[in-house]
Amino acid sequence: MASFDDNTQFVIGMLRECGLAHKTIIIVLDEFHRFAQGKQRLLYSLLDAMQSVTSQAVVIGISCRLDADQLLEKRVRSRLSHRKLLFCPPSKEELDRLLECLLSLPVSSSLPQSYIVEFNKELRKILADKKFKDTIDTLLSSDSTVDQILRFLFLSVSSMDLKTGILSVENFMTAVVRMNRQPKLECTKDCSILELYILVCMKRLEMREQVSYNFNSIMKEYKAIHDSFQTPDYYARNVCIRAFEHLLQCELISFMDNRRNNQSIEFRPVKLLISPYELHQGLKLNQSCPTILQKLMDQIGKRS
Amino acid sequence: MGNEETPQSQSTRRTTRSLASVIASDYDSETPKKTISISHKPTIKNLIYEYNKPLSLDHLLSRFPARSTQINEVLCHLGPLNSPMLPLFIYGGASTGKTSIILDTFRHLKRPFVYSSCRTCYSPKVLFESILNQLAFHKRVEENGYVSVKKCEKPSDFANFLRESLVNVVDILKEKGAKMNVKKTSAYTWGNMVYLIFDDFELVREWDKSSTILPFLFGLYLMLGLPEVGIIFLSKVSPDSYYSNSGHIEPIPLYFPGYSEKDLREIFMQKQENSERYSIVLKPFFRVTRQVDELSIAFRPVYEKYCQLLNDPGSNFSWETKQKREDAKKRLYSHLAPYIRSSLNEVFEISPLDTEAKADEVKGKASSKKRGAHDEELDFHMSVSAKYLLISAFLASRNPATLDASLFDPTGGLDGRKKRKKCSEKATEQKEMAEQELLLKGPGTFPLERLLAIFQCITSVEDISVDEEVDDDDGAPVVNQVAQYDLTSNVLLQVSSLCNANFISKGSSCPLEGSTRYKSTVARSLKFPLSRYLFRR
Repeated sequence: MASFDDNTQFVIGMLRECGLAHKTIIIVLDEFHRFAQGKQRLLYSLLDAMQSVTSQAVVIGISCRLDADQLLEKRVRSRLSHRKLLFCPPSKEELDRLLECLLSLPVSSSLPQSYIVEFNKELRKILADKKFKDTIDTLLSSDSTVDQILRFLFLSVSSMDLKTGILSVENFMTAVVRMNRQPKLECTKDCSILELYILVCMKRLEMREQVSYNFNSIMKEYKAIHDSFQTPDYYARNVCIRAFEHLLQCELISFMDNRRNNQSIEFRPVKLLISPYELHQGLKLNQSCPTILQKLMDQIGKRS
Repeated sequence: MGNEETPQSQSTRRTTRSLASVIASDYDSETPKKTISISHKPTIKNLIYEYNKPLSLDHLLSRFPARSTQINEVLCHLGPLNSPMLPLFIYGGASTGKTSIILDTFRHLKRPFVYSSCRTCYSPKVLFESILNQLAFHKRVEENGYVSVKKCEKPSDFANFLRESLVNVVDILKEKGAKMNVKKTSAYTWGNMVYLIFDDFELVREWDKSSTILPFLFGLYLMLGLPEVGIIFLSKVSPDSYYSNSGHIEPIPLYFPGYSEKDLREIFMQKQENSERYSIVLKPFFRVTRQVDELSIAFRPVYEKYCQLLNDPGSNFSWETKQKREDAKKRLYSHLAPYIRSSLNEVFEISPLDTEAKADEVKGKASSKKRGAHDEELDFHMSVSAKYLLISAFLASRNPATLDASLFDPTGGLDGRKKRKKCSEKATEQKEMAEQELLLKGPGTFPLERLLAIFQCITSVEDISVDEEVDDDDGAPVVNQVAQYDLTSNVLLQVSSLCNANFISKGSSCPLEGSTRYKSTVARSLKFPLSRYLFRR
């Protein structure tokens, strides 16, 4: 196992040799911002070698961060020629061309010719459809990178009807639905009633401007609700702890500190990770939500 | 660098007596061992789940009653034979069937895959080596000293080794496919693809190097660049919580929603007949939790009780007409209702003392409290001094230090406390605020000396207060042994074992913090009048 200095000497030696042999070397550093973490020894020695050694070499850095060159130390940045090429996500016209190009079957493929013709004809009809265009625009307005397009197309193609082998508009629509997820809402829809109670108690505590609260305060609030409204859902403390842990697992709530002091979970301050609007929506969509909770949520909504 | 020890190298090292006897016995049993060990060497067929037990699509769909949409989506994503796929990310709550559905889908499709769970593979090294072992058809057994096929700790090494092994496996598959197509003997067509499944993926976030490992695993597909590899992630948490500052490629998400009440009924019906009678039980439990594993554990005792009632020859339940059915249901429900209500408040744990509790039920006592005590007492194998230490820790963390003198003065400073003055409004407000604070702050810290001082006070005072408790059939021998406790080193050792068992936690600069759990059971088991010593404002 060679040390860092040995490897650097080797690289510099090789660069010199290649330079003497009139060979150009292109060094590509992908995820450039990761090289800029820590002490940047590699970058410094590499860029230093570029300047001092008689070599014909160029270093290209690729990064998804726009400020990758700002992350560099002063001595490294001074050795960089500040040339940046920005690759933008495709524009609207390019998107249309891209879609057609990716989806249509090439004429020279080994499949039967009549099938190819029919497939491409149907495809062009779909791409020209107005509703389809609107849906695609909405989807890609949030994220129009090629990655997103690829995933969307993969989802559409995978739901293609295998008997006919022709894409239809429904495939694309199901794919759009799959791409537009609302994870917190999904989680809230799946909560049991006890868990919803806990969430609403936390919301009420927040509305009372209590800065930090923990499981014990939530239990107090829960008892207060039970006393004032005589709800049938009053469960023992250990069952509530189980429901509390389940909410922690779903990431609808979380602790405010990071594993401090080995305190048990009843005393650590918690916070809600879901906005009041989402909670309200979730309560509405939850099929078994009791009306008392809806009422309490509405009360909170009016007060804020 | 072989970890395998040959007998020759062992004899050159210094051997202890036990080791020498082990070597001697090894020589004796060597030959019979060798014949047993020429056992099954894993081949590519091992990568297919339960190769000899095929599973048809209908059977698959019927095994998972409420999951037909999800199974179809998974099948669409995997596609027909030899279709490449983008990485898939399946997420959903606990016990929603993710792992079992994926494994059974692959059993149905009969495609080879490599499964690794991030729970059993608890660090990157173990994860990488497990995957490489499976791809190299290498099993870690006693003969090779439980050594993996390659030592692999860094992601960079893993990427190289993985690529090699995957190319290898794909070549084997292509060979087998070509051969089988020529022969046309077996009904099974070998595809070219192999799949990697990562289960319990949310645990990777808590690993040490998660900031590098997560983007690495997500970007594995692009990095390998092999269209014959498919990657599937299973996680309890949605992909949003995996976002970090680095740009990584997002896999395609698939959500497994929780079960609705109707679905749960279908699931539990699979094992039992007489479906409709289950509904009376399901509804109340459904309000508390929707997880199948918790519900099935909770239902078992209730169902037993229910069957007991049904099989009772005295009651006659007729199910012919609708009216009679309703009557029967009402009777059943009224009989079961108190039992359901009490068991709703149990944490859904398996209690081995079920038989004892059932006996109490028949007598008619409300035995839920007793069951609870039994459950907690089971965990309690502590020495008496440890229990006293725990009580002292609890008192030390709850009471302020200034009161120790008046509370623990053995000459009778106890009665001075009983007087209560009338409180003004301001005082009541202060009281409320202080209570609030107590709720929030949790147990306080105390130095070791205070703990030991309280311990000595309690144990010396013990014989006075014990006489108040009347019935103590099994408590009697315990009480008599209390006497005077010297602060021996054994007792001090108990403090450190309590720390290790997490009853007392150590803070910085060695103050200790009392924990709140088990306080009532300890006091009850020792018949200690805890309330007298507890400071209540």
